[in-house]
Amino acid sequence: MANDNLKNKVMTAKEAVERFIKPGTHIAFGGFTILRRPMTIAREIVRQGIKDLFVTMNGGTLVEEMLAGAGLIKWLETTYLGLEGGMPVAYAIRQAIESGEIELIEDYSNWSFAQRTLAGRLGLPFMPCLGDIGSDLIEYDTFKKGGLRGKREDGEFIHPGIPPKKYEIIDDPFEGFGLRPKRFKNGEDSCVNKTNAYRDGKIKSTKYTGKEGVKVALVPPLMPEVCVVRAQRVALDGTVRIEGLIGPDLDQSLCGRILIVECERICPPEELRAVPEHNQIAAHFVHAIVEQPFGAYPSAVPNYYDYDYSWFRNYVKEVNHQPKEKVREFWEKHVKETKDDWDYLYNKVGIKKLFSLRTDPKYHYNPNLDRFN
Amino acid sequence: MPVDINIKEYEEYLNKMGLEKEKYTYMELLAVATAREMPDEAFAFVGTGLPLLAAMLAQHTHAPNMTIILEAGTVGPKIEHIPVSVADPRACYQASTLSTLVDAFGTLAARGYCTLGVLGAAECDKYGNLNSTAIGSYWPKGVSETGKGPDVRLTGSGGANSIASLADKIIAMMVHEKRRLPEKVQYLTTPAGLRGPKGETRYDYGLFRGGDLVVVTDLCKMKPDPETGILYLYEIYPGVDPEYVRQNTGFDLDISRCKVMEPPTAEELMILRMKVDPDRIYLGRKPKRKE
Repeated sequence: MANDNLKNKVMTAKEAVERFIKPGTHIAFGGFTILRRPMTIAREIVRQGIKDLFVTMNGGTLVEEMLAGAGLIKWLETTYLGLEGGMPVAYAIRQAIESGEIELIEDYSNWSFAQRTLAGRLGLPFMPCLGDIGSDLIEYDTFKKGGLRGKREDGEFIHPGIPPKKYEIIDDPFEGFGLRPKRFKNGEDSCVNKTNAYRDGKIKSTKYTGKEGVKVALVPPLMPEVCVVRAQRVALDGTVRIEGLIGPDLDQSLCGRILIVECERICPPEELRAVPEHNQIAAHFVHAIVEQPFGAYPSAVPNYYDYDYSWFRNYVKEVNHQPKEKVREFWEKHVKETKDDWDYLYNKVGIKKLFSLRTDPKYHYNPNLDRFN
Repeated sequence: MPVDINIKEYEEYLNKMGLEKEKYTYMELLAVATAREMPDEAFAFVGTGLPLLAAMLAQHTHAPNMTIILEAGTVGPKIEHIPVSVADPRACYQASTLSTLVDAFGTLAARGYCTLGVLGAAECDKYGNLNSTAIGSYWPKGVSETGKGPDVRLTGSGGANSIASLADKIIAMMVHEKRRLPEKVQYLTTPAGLRGPKGETRYDYGLFRGGDLVVVTDLCKMKPDPETGILYLYEIYPGVDPEYVRQNTGFDLDISRCKVMEPPTAEELMILRMKVDPDRIYLGRKPKRKE
């Protein structure tokens, strides 16, 4: 293959957002809390002011806090809204939900949502989960109440990103055979958990199904239109290598239709294909590659730079308990009026600050950062 | 685990920080009270903040064989610098493996490696059900009848529900205020206790593990009565009046079985200060309780 063909997927954040993200797009942002958040694409969405987004996330919040603060989220499907780093509940999101600017929110737990991304990634119609039962996560179904579940008269799903049911609870057809701890032929299980109430005969549960059996909550696949993830390196062909904790990113990156990968550095395919077992995402899954060093700032990218705790502290000071207009003004000044991420990084953050975050090879973070003073 | 703390250095530290060997702060007391509930050999799903401090203290004292797991996929780290989030790279240092959320809850927790979970919440009702989702209705504006969303929107489950569904034992950490300890939670995010005004248990809903709960507040510890499932006052901190605890509880709290907790030992305090949080990032915080 000629090198020119290889460059087809490489584009600027501006091009990627223009091409793939429209008002109403169902979109999932990778990373977890303060780790490897795809801020370059997210900031470009703020610059372009793309509204009415249907955002889906398993424990993100920094990206989503910015988008909510800029007034761009209409629907949110989530598990957790804590902006780690001094703000227990992400303020702009909370404000948007309470006031109604975010019109719909659907809640899952970390595990059931992760199983949804896994079903999406594996191309399977559902995955089982042993949590969420007995809780109000099962009882409250926002999308159903909003009339968004099910099919239209023409046989299409009402919304291609919203499954016809939030959960389906069934009795395990294998009668609890797979539950651990288990009793094996040669003795007790080796795992550390000791309770398995079904085995102990404590359960005769007829809830949900009306019949006695081992209750399992099936969850539907998550299938967003666009998934965005940040990696350390992406090869020109699209091969992705993530270093450090993966969190939701393998499953959530592969469950959707379009995958945009932003990275610290684009490299020749040979560099990553020399040790292919360390790569996570195969080239053909990737539709757009956006290179932006330091683009995950203020979140952390292991082996490259640490998160900037001072940014979070300042943010909390600036926006917490402020009216909506103040929050919006913060994001307009901080992000919207910048030309692109280089402009943002040079002029809003500063090269000196960025270099102070560079990581230590032993720790994969910067052990000398003074985060709390 | 042998603790290599130089006594002279510790004394200098105490002087510098204005602390005393035998005297403790509220946060130190809470960390010790929580740590003592953590069994050795446990596979513990802990969040950051006080739960992690308590877990690190337990590892340095009575639970050297406890494995810490963070829900984003980190297994068995040897933490040197206090992380601010479960996905903080500081929480990954010297971990056995780093994996994914599917692994944390599947490969570990569901597979049988989640014996202990430490959770916080905005509300904990008399059956040990936790609410960390919303106060004053749940429905967002698009489907509510009020023209707006809930009065207060909170973080949502995160890993809390998943951990409480799969762990043998749950430690719930609460600020002991009447409004936070009601008869019934406004939204049931996490069934952490045995549950049930009609005698139904968590098992009746199909949850196959758990039921062992201790609620650690800034005044006391409460546990569910094995018969009724209702929380009773189990241990009170030194110097706290049981009647005061009862008055600050939103349901009728049985205080008849209450014992007084052994105060933090000089050794526990020394380890907490020198090994766990020397910069007093969390230990230096003020209690959340509003008098």
